[in-house]
Order: sequence, then structure tokens, then C-alpha cells
Amino acid sequence: MTNDTHIVKSYGEELQFLNDSVIQMGSLTESLLADSMNAITILDKEAVSRIIQSDKKINEYRAKIDTQIMTLLVKRAPMAIDLRITITALRISQDLERIGDLAKGNAKKMLPLPQDLSQELLKSLKRLGAIVESQLNKSLDAYIKKSKDLSVEVIKLDTSVNELTYLSIKEILSFLSKDTKNLEYATNLLFVAKNLERAGDHIRRIAENIYFLVEGDYYKK
Amino acid sequence: MTKEQRLKKRYSAEKRFKQYGIVSICMALLFVGLLVFKVLSEGSSAFVKTTIQLELNFDTKLLNISNQPTKEEIADIDFYDFTLKHILKVYPTNNRDEEKLLIKLFTSDFEFEVKKFFLNNSDILNKVITLPITASSDLDQLHKGNYQRDITEDRRKISNFQLKIYDQLLENKKINKTFNNYFLVKGDSRNPEIAGIGGAMLGSLFSILVCLIISFPIALLAAVYLEEFAPKNKFTDFIEININNLAAVPSIVFGLLGLGILLNVFELPRSTSLVGGITLALMTLPRIIIPCRASLKAVPPSIREAALAVGASKVQTVIHHVVPLAMPGTLSGTIIGLAQALGETAPLLLIGMVAFVVQVPGNPLDPSASLPIQVYLWSESAERGFVEKTSATIMVLLGFLIVMNSLAVYARQKFEKKWI
Amino acid sequence: MSTSAKISANHLNVFYGQKQALFDISLDINQNEVTALIGPSGCGKSTFIRCINRMNDVIDICKVEGEIAIDGKNIYDPKVDVVSLREKVGMVFQKPNPFPKSIYENVCYGPKIHGIAQSKDELDTIVESSLKRAALWNEVKDRLQEPGTSLSGGQQQRLCIARAISVNPEVILMDEPCSALDPVATAKIEELIDELKKTFTIVIVTHSMSQAVRVSQKTGFFHLGKLIEVGSTEKIFKNPTNSMTQDYITGRFG
Repeated sequence: MTNDTHIVKSYGEELQFLNDSVIQMGSLTESLLADSMNAITILDKEAVSRIIQSDKKINEYRAKIDTQIMTLLVKRAPMAIDLRITITALRISQDLERIGDLAKGNAKKMLPLPQDLSQELLKSLKRLGAIVESQLNKSLDAYIKKSKDLSVEVIKLDTSVNELTYLSIKEILSFLSKDTKNLEYATNLLFVAKNLERAGDHIRRIAENIYFLVEGDYYKK
Repeated sequence: MTKEQRLKKRYSAEKRFKQYGIVSICMALLFVGLLVFKVLSEGSSAFVKTTIQLELNFDTKLLNISNQPTKEEIADIDFYDFTLKHILKVYPTNNRDEEKLLIKLFTSDFEFEVKKFFLNNSDILNKVITLPITASSDLDQLHKGNYQRDITEDRRKISNFQLKIYDQLLENKKINKTFNNYFLVKGDSRNPEIAGIGGAMLGSLFSILVCLIISFPIALLAAVYLEEFAPKNKFTDFIEININNLAAVPSIVFGLLGLGILLNVFELPRSTSLVGGITLALMTLPRIIIPCRASLKAVPPSIREAALAVGASKVQTVIHHVVPLAMPGTLSGTIIGLAQALGETAPLLLIGMVAFVVQVPGNPLDPSASLPIQVYLWSESAERGFVEKTSATIMVLLGFLIVMNSLAVYARQKFEKKWI
Repeated sequence: MSTSAKISANHLNVFYGQKQALFDISLDINQNEVTALIGPSGCGKSTFIRCINRMNDVIDICKVEGEIAIDGKNIYDPKVDVVSLREKVGMVFQKPNPFPKSIYENVCYGPKIHGIAQSKDELDTIVESSLKRAALWNEVKDRLQEPGTSLSGGQQQRLCIARAISVNPEVILMDEPCSALDPVATAKIEELIDELKKTFTIVIVTHSMSQAVRVSQKTGFFHLGKLIEVGSTEKIFKNPTNSMTQDYITGRFG
């Protein structure tokens, strides 16, 4: 990366501000994701209200970042790395917003676990949630450190996210086939699994954008 | 000192500076005004001459010709005798001395005036016609009020008898003032009343023409070569220094040069406008080269680059683009140099254009004087009649200089309008 | 160095007296393409471009080593006629410099001195076509006898371009042609460059990064007399290889 500061200091400050906004949006999304998993697995009621707050803030960040990017494009006509910083910030904020929506959607669907169902059912789902959370954490780390290696790790790990999702869905379906009473609950669990997979895809895209930002080229297997 | 005091001091200093400027300009204008006033007041009277109305009876018997005269007869007419008879009738007297005085009231050229009138008019035979004959210089000066009447006769140029005739003629309204056509047309003469600057004007004109034809092309080409093509080394620096010095050399040195080389070595004819022109050309050369070079230097390099970039050679660039743009400055420099040459006296004195030349020159190889030299010659003369003519010549000279300098300004304005 | 390039600079070194202005420049310029030269002030890009039509010859203390080949022939060969070189390689300058003559005379001067036109009609045709190709004909066709200097800045620059085109060159060199013009005039010239590259090879020196991106297909970055990086415009401005190039185009130094 380049190490000198821009001749026009405010340009560098604007790019830094953009960078910080994305990071802040990212940590908000992280906590939203964690809260939504808690809402599903341990039925944390306070988590639900926190989720609504976080989602609102995330949307505000999205709008703020959008405005910042428009201003940067008009004012500075950024080139090379500055252009990549601007464009990836736009894309990453879009992906983060989608992840937040998916997490919120998951939390809203959850009803209390029926008494007679075992926690075993949620085992794979919990594992899936944990992996997705760690992927998001790693990708944000990659963004902060502008690390090519971390982003490649996230990209490669996405296949295991897909596999785990498949596994969770199989478990839930097998439960469904045995127990038809809690149909609604099980169906919701299916949606949760699917949403987590989609969140994983968005995280993979975030990592690809970080790779593009650092390398100037798209990741090829 | 406070800020306000300092500011006030500055303003008053500026005001004083402006006032100094105005005072200087006023002083300069005062001197110019004095000069012009003196010249105008003394010289304007030279443009009028006094004439005496003389009655002439062109009777064929008096002229000694037949009623249908042949060319031979006309050529044989003695106009001196014929006119003399009529002059003596003006104030009949038996005294021979008085007759001489009477005749001296008229110009010594009176017969030629009558002859000219006779030859130019056909239908005058056997008619009585009153002709204005030019008065002599003494009568002319008397009539213009330049001679004192109330001093003793032996100190006067006009005798008592002549005064009597003059008063009578005046009473009979036979004395007039008319435009002095001789002044601008005729050559030099011992008699002030018929002396003119015609010869000197043509002498000056020919000299300036010769000077222009020789100096302008050489100066232009030299300046173009030195500025555009010559390599920049010590030798060309040396030439440039010498050209600048030549412009400051006293003009009489060029006269010596003309005398030594043109007259003694090349044996060109003395006192001619040709030699005068060549001498003036030598003097004017550096005075044209210097403004020409300055104008060439002032042409912006972007024009040269544009021409070169389109594929013009160095010579084409200079001829098609640089020289035309340098023309306004060159022309003004040339006209000013020529105006200076017009007023030069010293070098022309040395090459002999100071001769007394009566004949108006027909070409540059005829001997002649020039305007400033004519001024010099007349200013040395004792005759009172030449005083006004000297000033009048200065007026004519100044007139030419003003015209030439105005031409310079006009040429500059006209050319400059084109290229900005 | 590829021999199919229109202009090829090989190990070019240029000195102004003792001071070296260009160090070992080797650069190819391709035909019917716009090549932009960028770099901070004093980096040698103007010096380089003026070597291509040997305008540096008029500067006495300028010495050129190495070669520049156009269509394979070295233009610094002593046998080369500079006048015919400049017929082949035209130039447009930073500040518009039309001759102080009429618009018509400005454009017909080149063809006249090179003897391209045989008759007045041919001259008229050349003037009309040059002015049309320079996108100026419609604005001046009714006033060809007016002085070239009576036009606006942008029109004057297009007149200079028409003048350069009138001798039918193969290469047009442009030294910061838009730096003295307003944005509308600049846009018109950029549009013109786009059209002209179909017929001519164009080399343009520019201080405006965005202009270089807009008009050129290939870009060379100069710094302190050295060619730091050269490549396709897209590569240079999206992801340059050399960090100095990146620092320059992102405004981190320069």
C-alpha cells in the first residue's frame, strides 16, 4: 500500500472517515448477528429490542456512507487505490446491510422453543451460527488490517458454511419427518438456516472485495 | 509616527512628485512655445511680398514688333527697355541720380516678370494693363515696417527721394502685399526679394531619397542577419557594440568621411545631393539598425515556433512572419532617422553642399544646397531681407519634421492594429 | 523495441548544456492511438515531445543522444531534412499561437510553402477540409478573411489544429493543448482528439490526470527525466505497478 499522505489533507481525511464508518457499521452488524443467534438459541428477550436498535443504526450508517461516497466521487475523481477504496466501501456497506436484514429477519421469526423439543436439534444450527459469526469477524479484521491472507481464508471457508447449512437442513428435516406437531417451528428453523447461508455468501463477497481492494484484481481459485 | 501621519506623508510626497512632473512639462512647453513663437513671428512675413502696380502699354510700336509678331520678333523684344520706359513714367524726373533711385525701388528682375506675363498671355497686344511688379528688398522691408524712417538719411537704406515716391505710391494705392510665390519655388539669389528655397528643398529631397534608398535595405538586411542568423559569439558582440557606438558619433565625422573617400578617392561630383545622400546614409544606417533589431527582438518566440512547427525553414519563418511583425518599429525608426538626417548641416557643409546655387537642381547629380544649409547661408548675410527668410526656412523645415514624425506615429498605429 | 510501432524512442538521452534532462528513454508510440505523457512539472515530458519533431534543434545548448525512429527510420540521422520531418509531424502548443494573419492564410500557409496545392481551388479545398476536420468550419466559414486572433481561445486552438492538419501529417504532437482553455472549449478539443486518432497518431502531454484517462489509450509517466512506467491507460490509472506512479496519480506527491 502507499504510505504517503495526500497532498490535500482533507482528501486523506475523507477516505479515512469512510474507512472508519465501514468498520463501525461492521461491528454493529457483528453484534446484531450475535444478538439474533442468542434470540434464537437462548431466547434472550432483551436481545430482540437491541436488534431493532442496531438495525436502525445500521441503516443510518448505510445512508451516511452512501452520501460520503457520492461526495468523494464528485470532489476527488479518485484513481487507482483510492478508487478501489471508494468502490469496495460502497459494496461492503451494501453487503453488511443485507446481513443485518437477514439477522433481523431470523430473530423476528423465532418463537419459544417448545418444551418437548431437545436442544440437540439446534446443535448444527448453533454451529452454523458460530461459524458465520466468526467469518464476519475475520472479514472485518481483514478489512481493518487490509490483509489479503485473511480475506482468502474467509473465501475458502465459505464452502464449509455451505456444507454445514446442508447438514443443518438435513437434521431439521429428519426431525420434521418424525414429529409433525411443531411444523411451524421447524419450518422457521429451515428459514433460519437458509438465511445464515445467505449471510455467509454476503460475507464471502465482502472478503472478495477486500481482496480486490488490496490486490487490484479479483480473486481466482 | 502614527499610521495616519505616515499615510499623510506618503500622499503629500506623491502630490509633490506629480507637481514636479507638471512643472517640468510646463517648462518644456514654454521653451518650445518660445521657439515657435520667435520663428513664426519673424518668419511669417517672408511669405508675403510687396508689389508695385505698374501700368504697361503693350503697344506694338513700343515693343518694336508687328501686329502679328513672328517667333523671331518676340525673341528679339527688349523687355528691359520697354519696362524701364514705364517705370520712369511713375515719377518723372530729369535727374539721372533720381532716375537710378526710382529704378532701384523695383526688383532687379523686373524685365523677367514682364516677359513672363507677355509670353503667358496672348490677347494683350495694344492694350494697357496694370501689372504688379515685385518691389525691391529695401522697399519690401520698408513697407513691412522693418526700416526706421525717423533717422538721418545717411544711416538709412532708403533715401528721402525714394521715401517721397513711396508715400505717393502708397497714397495712390499702388503698393500691395501679395503671396510670395518666389519663396517656395525659386533658387537662391543675391537679391532677397527673389530669393527662394526651391533649390534647397529639392536638394534636401534628393539627399533624403538617396539616403533612404541606400540605408533602408542595407540596415534592414543587416539587422535581420545579426538578430536571426548570426551565431552568438565574441565577434558578433563586437559588431553590435560598434553599431551602437556609431549611432552616437558626431555627424561631422561622417562629413569628413564623405570628403575623404567619396570626393577625394571616388571623385564624385562636389556639392551634389548624391554625395550628400550617401554621407547621410552612412550616418543613418546605425540609427535604423538599432530600432529594427529591437523590433525583431520583440516578436514573440511563439510565432517563430508556430512557423517552424508547420515546416517552414528558418529563412521562411523570418521573411514571412518575423519581419512583417517587426515592420511598425522599423518604419518608425526609419522615419525618425530620416527626419534627423533632414536636419543635418555639418556633414553636408564638409562635402560642399554650401555652394551658392541659383539653379534649382533637376537631378541628384546637380549641385545644390539643403534646407538647413540655406538657413546657415542666409543667416550669415548682411541684407535685412534675409532675416525673415531665414526664419521662414526654419518654419518650412520644422513643418517637414512634424509631418515626418506624424507619419512615423501613423505608420506605427496602422501596422500595430493589424497584429494584436 | 517493437518495430511495428509508429514512433520508437531508443535509449534517448537529452542534455541542456551540462544538465541532463532525459535519462535513457525507450518508449513506443503506436499508430492511430493517443499516447498521453504525464508527470510533475520539469519531469521532461515536454522535452521528450519536442524531440519527436526536432523542435529542440533551435535551442543551441540542447544535445540529443540516442535515436528516435519514425516508421523505422532514425530522425536524428544527419541526412534527415528537418523541414520534411515537420511536414510529417505536426505540433500544437500550450498557448494558442495563430499567425497574425487571416484565418484562411493561417491554414493555407503550410500547404503553400510545401507546394502541396497547385492552384487556388486546391488551396481552398485544403483549407475547407482542414477546418472541417478541426470542427471549426461552421463557425468561421463566413469570415475566413478575418484575423485569426479575433477568435476565442478555444477557436484559436482549433485553428492551430487545423493549421497542423493542413499539411497532412502522420503524427500530431500536442503540448498541453487545453491548459489555457475553459472547460467547454477543452471538451470540444477532447472530442476532436477522439475523431482525429482515427487518421493520425497523437502524442499528448497533459497535466490533467482525468484528461489523460479520457483521451488516451496508452500512458507514460515521467519523473525527473526518467520514464517510470508506461502501459495501457486503464492499467496505469486503475492499478499501476510502480508505487511512484500510484502516488502521483492519487495526489500523494507531485
